[in-house]
Amino acid sequence: MIQDYVVFVGVNIVLAWSVYVILLAGSLSFANGGFMAIGAYVSGVLTVKFGVPLVVAAPIAGIAAGVIGVLVGFPALRTRGIYLMLVTVGVAVSVKAVIESIDYVGGIQGFGGMVGTTPWHVLGLVALVGCGLTLLSKSPLQRILDAVREDELSAASLGINPVYVKLTCFGAGAFLAAVAGSFYAHYLIHISPDQFGIVLSVFIVLYAVLGGTNNMWGPPIGAAIMTLIPEFVRGLEAWRPTAFGLVILVLLLIRPNGLLAFRIATTRTKVALTALDFTGARSD
Amino acid sequence: MDVCPQSILSVDGLCKSFRGLTAIDSVSLEVRRGEILGLMGPNGAGKSVFVNVITGLYPADYGAVRFCGRDVTHLPSFALARLGIARTFQNIRLLRRMTVLENVLVAIKDHVNRPLGSLFARNRVGFVSAAMALLEHFYLVDKRDWLAGSLSYGEARRLEIARALAGKPSLLFLDEPAAGMNERETEELGDTIRASRKLLEAIVIIEHDVTMMRGLADRLVIMDAGRKIAEGRPNDVLAQPNVIEAYLGTDGADE
Repeated sequence: MIQDYVVFVGVNIVLAWSVYVILLAGSLSFANGGFMAIGAYVSGVLTVKFGVPLVVAAPIAGIAAGVIGVLVGFPALRTRGIYLMLVTVGVAVSVKAVIESIDYVGGIQGFGGMVGTTPWHVLGLVALVGCGLTLLSKSPLQRILDAVREDELSAASLGINPVYVKLTCFGAGAFLAAVAGSFYAHYLIHISPDQFGIVLSVFIVLYAVLGGTNNMWGPPIGAAIMTLIPEFVRGLEAWRPTAFGLVILVLLLIRPNGLLAFRIATTRTKVALTALDFTGARSD
Repeated sequence: MDVCPQSILSVDGLCKSFRGLTAIDSVSLEVRRGEILGLMGPNGAGKSVFVNVITGLYPADYGAVRFCGRDVTHLPSFALARLGIARTFQNIRLLRRMTVLENVLVAIKDHVNRPLGSLFARNRVGFVSAAMALLEHFYLVDKRDWLAGSLSYGEARRLEIARALAGKPSLLFLDEPAAGMNERETEELGDTIRASRKLLEAIVIIEHDVTMMRGLADRLVIMDAGRKIAEGRPNDVLAQPNVIEAYLGTDGADE
């Protein structure tokens, strides 16, 4: 049982980070459930049909999803705000539809035989991604991403290419979601397209948003809490989904900017600045 | 640094209209090495549009812009910034939720040109001290850890100029840097701009304040209704009847 918790929480943490990475440059993606599906299926085919070891198949699946993410993202990122969100919803829906129609991976019946994920794989992945994001959060790149998210026009006037930056983040987010999907699939043994519906993408976004997207520690906290809440309220039986929904609503009401809303400045490690609660704006 | 000819920027017959409304009507001008060029004119004369077209915010309809002899008419704004054309905005555009120091640091050329490489950037201490030097120049050192959005108006204006200079540009456009400043702040800003001269090849300032421009600009270009109507030394230009008429006439019509 504890094994299940470790794997599911870990996978969801990486998924939450995959949304966070895309949000870093200011785009909101509902396509990450789709990228996760691509990762699950590509790595599954590689290990089951071609005998590739899991630790090799997972990054290959990640790169495949990253490439698809960039190809899809290039036209998609030319749209903005709510339109971009709708495009990513479309991506998630079409990935599911495409997988359902491929008989090679079992169509709607699903695809099975993936084994090999241990909790250590997942813990290692979380640690690796966490280290990468820590490095990022203290680097000049973090400032460049912040600038693009804050004001693209202003960023461009400083020589930053906003399209390139956003596309790179989109590809990186797709990569992370796919790697998480790979380990997820190889723990479940059998996967089917209906596990990767749009609801999954919405949940992944919720993990990140509920935890707070101003620093790298918010999304994992959101993911952990949201993965474990349904377990805590197990005694409620039929009322579980209702209780779960209520907890989310209450959290969003109490902490509308996420549980950890502060932004950590890149030049001073000890100072935490409230970013979204920011009220120091002067009228100009 | 590239070897530029005597004129660092040359604009030739630039036209821009929005849905049939002509904003800029065949304007040509040169920015010479080492000068501060003032761009003046009544409200709606097309000064800001002119700068926005040159810096790649709007595409030009006709005409050519050459920077250091190179045709840059159709380059996007980030590419122009990398070539060395920096700017500030009429309605200040700082990264409001980032600190003052971060606002300057973000513009450092080495990082901006290679965003992914900056993940492993070296010499960060050196960059921070370079940014601090700029903040000192603009009297913002004490505010380095403030959020940019919490600065006063004058401070925000100064920070925007400091940020523009952090990319080591050779040409800087200042779009109404003294707008909304009181007399003392305007005077200080003039001193700061004068002191920034040595960091750059040339500065173009859009400004209404006649007193400031008289003291600051080496040359003035006057625009009215999208056209260039006068050009020359400040005292000569500001004495021309058509310039006086453009200012007074439009001011009267505005009220």
